[in-house]
Amino acid sequence: MIGAAFRDILASAQADDEAAFTQLFRDVQPSLLRYLRLIAPDAEDVASDTWLQVVGGLRRFRGEEHEFRAWLFTIARHRAVDSGRSRARRPAVPLELTEAEQQFTSPDAADQALEAMSTQAVLALIASLPGDQAEIIMLRVVAGLEAREVARIVGKTPGAVRVAAHRGLRKLASVAARPDIERASTKPGVTQ
Amino acid sequence: MNGPDASHDEMPGFFPGRPGGEHDEPLLDMLLERRPIPPGAPRELHDLACVLAVAAGPAEPGDLAGEAAARAAFTRLPSPSGASHAAPRSARHRLTDWPARGRLPLAAALAVAATGLGSAAAAYAGALPSPIQHIAHEVIGAPPPQDAPGRSLVVGSSSAPVPSPQTTAPASHKTLRVTATPTSTRPGSWGWDSRNPRYSPGPTYASCRPAPSPSQNQARPTPTPTHMSPAPASASLSPSPHSVRPSVNRDLESPRPAISSWTPSPSGTSCPSVPG
Repeated sequence: MIGAAFRDILASAQADDEAAFTQLFRDVQPSLLRYLRLIAPDAEDVASDTWLQVVGGLRRFRGEEHEFRAWLFTIARHRAVDSGRSRARRPAVPLELTEAEQQFTSPDAADQALEAMSTQAVLALIASLPGDQAEIIMLRVVAGLEAREVARIVGKTPGAVRVAAHRGLRKLASVAARPDIERASTKPGVTQ
Repeated sequence: MNGPDASHDEMPGFFPGRPGGEHDEPLLDMLLERRPIPPGAPRELHDLACVLAVAAGPAEPGDLAGEAAARAAFTRLPSPSGASHAAPRSARHRLTDWPARGRLPLAAALAVAATGLGSAAAAYAGALPSPIQHIAHEVIGAPPPQDAPGRSLVVGSSSAPVPSPQTTAPASHKTLRVTATPTSTRPGSWGWDSRNPRYSPGPTYASCRPAPSPSQNQARPTPTPTHMSPAPASASLSPSPHSVRPSVNRDLESPRPAISSWTPSPSGTSCPSVPG
């Protein structure tokens, strides 16, 4: 998150300052890509489409940083839905949860394993949750949106978003605390 | 859930469906808002906080993919003042960036406009075949064909207005002439109407007129390609070979008395200024 400087950066970007636009991009793009990788197989393409639309409407945007991010992630979700429609009935590739579990195991203590786990493994772990819970957790935690903004994006009530997020977090905690993961860490050759 | 699970004593109030399952909600809300949880919170919550921190962690090399494309899209965006910040790029380059479906209507419109301008210029230049020239004469007030000056060719409605010095041309004709020709080439100064025998061609356009053929009626000077052509700006757009410049030189070399009586037009026609 950019913080207090966001307003000035946005104003500069709206006045055609490429450096300011780059700042906006670099601030949002990592979380955008991580979110899109959860909901769209062609995340990079969807992100490109999203930025094209953002660039087109940047000058008309009025709002603070969280509103900007909410606007951008709303566009991203729409573009992902469009992309999904165009892919029609292409079968989705299921995530291999065991791979993710193996990736974030460590020969040392569990907390060290968690601290050292790769972003990829964590995202795969979140992706193992039910779809709506995973998406809501990504929007709340990774994108940094508030519950009401997430509710608008996913078409649920803020209360439903909160419940789904709590359920997802509990499942996530239970997966991370599974003893078989710790046992996997003792397998020879399994390193992070 | 596979395998043994954490006991309730280890994680009181954490897992759903167990007594006190709702007591962890404030802690979960803190995690969702990325606020630090109290040190006394269950260990699993700390682990979960670590997982979420990794998920929302700093950018990795692959996380900035597409930056060049986004910046390129940003620089292609035209600025509010109309000038793009990609100013050094030519308009032709920007045109090639347009999608093909956007270029096609534009090209068609340009082709139609060029054809129309060229046809109008050719009509005013009297360069069209006689029947078509007559049609142009009837429709847009172009000069009549030279080989059949008195013949009337009825095309479409016979009530089409025939421009004459006494009549007012249709609005479209008038607009074209006023904006695209020197003042001396307005319909009122044309000399091709036999009903006005006292009329004599104006000095300004006469200077751009080539010498008439011996058989041509001197009392009825027929507008020629030069003096009937639109203004120089329009002539430059016209693909017609009857442009102003080549004939002007010949006109200025013509020994006709009208040349010697030429006086500069206030409207600043380009014809006399071309060196002989």
